[in-house]
Amino acid sequence: MEDLPGLIPEGSTVVLGGGWFANHPMAAVRELVRAERDDLEAIALLGSVDVDLLVGAGALRHLTFSMVTLEAFGLATNFRRAVQSGELPITELSALSLQVALEAGAHRVPFLPLRGPIGSDLVGMHPEFYGTASTSFGDADVPVVKAVRPDVALLHATRCDQLGNVQHEGTFAMDPELARASDRVIVTCEEIVSTEEIAADAPLTKIPGLLVEAVIEAPFGAHPCSHVPRYAQDAWKLLDYQKAALAGGDAYAALLETIRGEDEESYRERMLGDGRGRVLEALVEAAVVIDEETA
Amino acid sequence: MTADRYEIHELMIARIAEEMTSEGEHIVLMGSFTPLAYAAYMLGKLTHARDAWLAGYNAVGIGPVELSFTGSEAAAYRSATSTASFNQNGWIFHLGTRGLLECVSSAQIGGDGAINLSAIGDYDAPKVRLPGGAGAPEVVQNYRRMVAYFTRHDRRTLVEAVDFATGRRTPIGAAAREQLGLCPGSVLIVTPLAVLRKDEDDRPFELESVHPGVDVDTVVENTGFELTVPAEVPVTGEPTARQVELLRERIDPFQTARFDFLTGEERLGYLEDLLAREWDRAEALVEAGAR
Repeated sequence: MEDLPGLIPEGSTVVLGGGWFANHPMAAVRELVRAERDDLEAIALLGSVDVDLLVGAGALRHLTFSMVTLEAFGLATNFRRAVQSGELPITELSALSLQVALEAGAHRVPFLPLRGPIGSDLVGMHPEFYGTASTSFGDADVPVVKAVRPDVALLHATRCDQLGNVQHEGTFAMDPELARASDRVIVTCEEIVSTEEIAADAPLTKIPGLLVEAVIEAPFGAHPCSHVPRYAQDAWKLLDYQKAALAGGDAYAALLETIRGEDEESYRERMLGDGRGRVLEALVEAAVVIDEETA
Repeated sequence: MTADRYEIHELMIARIAEEMTSEGEHIVLMGSFTPLAYAAYMLGKLTHARDAWLAGYNAVGIGPVELSFTGSEAAAYRSATSTASFNQNGWIFHLGTRGLLECVSSAQIGGDGAINLSAIGDYDAPKVRLPGGAGAPEVVQNYRRMVAYFTRHDRRTLVEAVDFATGRRTPIGAAAREQLGLCPGSVLIVTPLAVLRKDEDDRPFELESVHPGVDVDTVVENTGFELTVPAEVPVTGEPTARQVELLRERIDPFQTARFDFLTGEERLGYLEDLLAREWDRAEALVEAGAR
């Protein structure tokens, strides 16, 4: 795990997997905080605590995003402060246009057309990204977005093998497209298993190993985000995070210092000891699908 | 039968659920966990719109799920009939103009129907930097319905012109939309006071209905843009006893949807209490398993 930051060259553009509070690569994010990185450009489709922690730790020089939110817990505090103060330069795009741009990157084509966010002020604001194309078929001024090719994708998954095959059981957001778009793919996972086990459940493999440079075992590596169906989001620790971010100053400095003073194993002991991890798993079992027959 | 007692969020949920009609391909996207909107989708799915396709996270064909901050994602996967990458779903639903409904809620909405999820004040030096719109720009432009709901109805929210248009439905008129290959459908605003509708680009929003007990002047005074008020303003239909029972007992027993209406300290206390009940239910499962 501690070797992870060394795989990300200085000044890299790093795209983060997951979405909202689901399956962000939080163990990897914490490792970047521990390495005291201050040189990264991040791309976050639907960011939350992943982006806010990186911003709060001063890891980012630039952020491209469609949304950064702590949802019920409020606006993403560090993100908000850093953008309002002008400290963090941003490129805001609509989610679908960023998705299509990453897909263009994955397909190694210069742009892709889409029924894009026409009417949005974002279009006029970013002529370097939103354009039009005409074709020899007679199409004129079709909205297109320019391909985006990140240097590194940081993803979290359920299972990987030594060949880099990646399986997700729950939310995988657009991780497969991120892997295809990026030059270098680094995946943390709940467990590393044998290739035989991966092959026994091949339809679960969302990313083939040929695209993946490194896999790292990181149990509860999405915490405090969810990794369904293994464990639910830790809403209580997310709330603690937000309280520290809102307090700022010493409270947030203490949060960063604690993360920097421990490794992932100690993080797990601190956060998930006393059976807490088991309750986060039970939250998944406790979830209810409403029986339409009796409702 | 109308419910004897209901809360305002339950009326709004029932009104939004009405928008789950059987037009088009009947696909309702859930988006991030927004309790009031989720409650409306589940209510529709359990009543008049049983054949609607619900999609959320990477799951498609989701059954009606109980709302909770920590459990809705897991329940969505447990009931889904397929999964697909965000990109695959985005190409089909958002960009492929097959989406029927995905509610939006923004800091501001303008008299032209534009929504602001980006910044209050100057975009480059904002007073408040907001989260950003995620897929909302494509949702409001490409979906059959544009439904924006707000937990308050005031001139700071319903403004003449937004500070920044994160998304804008254009054009709005049905004929112009169809000519461009876009699904026709008006812009609907649902607030704690009223329902407003805009059908044409060059005409203001019209007051479609006021909620029971709300007078028309209150709505007009609290709306920052021009509003057409018909001679007779209908009253919004109240939720039925059955709808309220479904909401309270099956869909939202933790009362997550009420949360959005609270502010400040009250909001935090409510959230902590609600989460404590979610925790207790899971912990009871652990203890039962250990015995």
